[in-house]
Amino acid sequence: MRANFIFSEVWIGLRRNLTMTIAVVITVAVGMAMLGVGLMINAQVSMMQTYWYDKVEISVFLCDKISASEKCGGKAITDEQTAAVKAQLEKTPGVAPGGVIYENQEEAYKNFKEAYATNKALLTATTVKDMPTSFRVKLSDPENYQPVVQAAEAMPGVSQVVNQRELIGRFFDMLSTLRWAAIIVAVILVLAAALLIGNTVRLSAFNRRRETGIMRLVGASNLYIQLPFVMEGMIAGLIGGVLAAVLLIVAKVFMFEELTKFIAIGAALGWDEVAQAITLTMVFGVVICVLASFVTLRRYLRV
Amino acid sequence: MIHFDNVTKVYANQNRPALDHVSVDVDKGEFVFLVGPSGSGKSTFLRLILKEERPNSGAIHVAGKDLARLSNFKVPHLRRRIGCVFQDFRLLPNKNVYENVAFALEVIGKPRRFIRKVVPEVIELVGLEGKAHRMPDELSGGEQQRVAMARAFVNRPMILLADEPTGNIDPATSIGIMKVLDRINRTGTTVVMATHDAAIVDSMRKRVVELEDGKIVRDQSRGVYGQAY
Repeated sequence: MRANFIFSEVWIGLRRNLTMTIAVVITVAVGMAMLGVGLMINAQVSMMQTYWYDKVEISVFLCDKISASEKCGGKAITDEQTAAVKAQLEKTPGVAPGGVIYENQEEAYKNFKEAYATNKALLTATTVKDMPTSFRVKLSDPENYQPVVQAAEAMPGVSQVVNQRELIGRFFDMLSTLRWAAIIVAVILVLAAALLIGNTVRLSAFNRRRETGIMRLVGASNLYIQLPFVMEGMIAGLIGGVLAAVLLIVAKVFMFEELTKFIAIGAALGWDEVAQAITLTMVFGVVICVLASFVTLRRYLRV
Repeated sequence: MIHFDNVTKVYANQNRPALDHVSVDVDKGEFVFLVGPSGSGKSTFLRLILKEERPNSGAIHVAGKDLARLSNFKVPHLRRRIGCVFQDFRLLPNKNVYENVAFALEVIGKPRRFIRKVVPEVIELVGLEGKAHRMPDELSGGEQQRVAMARAFVNRPMILLADEPTGNIDPATSIGIMKVLDRINRTGTTVVMATHDAAIVDSMRKRVVELEDGKIVRDQSRGVYGQAY
């Protein structure tokens, strides 16, 4: 096998249909970048999920005089009842050991002030006395929250049980829609890229039918005849992959890192995840290109 | 060397067979003319030897190999032992004479040193010494056909197939082409040549196999082209 012979053939082929090659490179680059972004969103979402779902708690709000809940009947919870609820919660299966923490009105107000720091009107209208007391309940398995919520709701002196997971869940649903959208667009683009590569290789094979005809005649092996064409597809895929890698690095710096400044993501996407996304998309891109070339050659370069 | 046993070939979408129960034997070192009108099956005969086509029935042996049992993977190795020359030369226009001949060796992975040694020898054998660096469009038709023959012979094939090699060449030049073919035949290479050229067949006095409508109608050693043409 003569390497320089093959490379000169590849170079001739790429140069002869330069515009097609450019189209392939761009399509591969955009498709791969979309796929990579999809993978990165995926990594980001699962990192955020593990971070947040670990922190997710159930808030068990206790009755006071101004509670709207009918269960309270306008009466505040007594100290004995509070102690009973705490003891019961600690015994409930699914609650993390030592995971029941009492939050009094002062602490609740402090958290409230932090959360609504920008909303001055609301802050001035609210006093410490308006804050409900509650238990913050950590779960041993955040996925399995239903039994604890049900048990807590049944306890006397409990006005309302709020499960934070339901609130966060909606946000994650939105993110996963985004991720799927990126991946679907990527798949469509990759498909387009594969078809384009097929066409480029077909053109290339047609341009060089004289050479390949002679090669066949003098007994060149199939591999030797087909390799330049497959390499053409592969090189186009590789260049597209490199461009996609650049796009992914840009996305990481200007999208994901900017995003962390606006919302408390909890866990930032590291370079490890970016490298992983780049490797995956590169491998995927090159494999698709080689496959597309092979399939086309089987149809248009009879050996 | 070439053995056809009751071979029939029908192309798809055609009722009439291109070859109809053909049996023929060509021995090592023989020179055989394949004659007959257009569409009589001469080209099909040559294509079957190269395993470019598969017969519908019958067995073909080439160089001791049963083509039906030869895997696709090994077909290139069969073709390395068979040289081919065509009416339209089939040279690469962007390569000079030397490169055109060397191409045949490059693509089967021969070492460069070997190529540098044998290519000039073959160019000399076909009578093109001193023209190694000409481009095909600077050569006459006869000279281009000599390049094609050099390329077909450079790997020292056991069989040389020639499909109307003088079809595009004037009679005077054709004689030179036939001399080269004869020289190649004298090295022990089996030559099968399909042709319409009565004068050449008559002058060479070699074995003649005549095809008509896919059937062998005549097989004659030291034959002539025939009265009908």
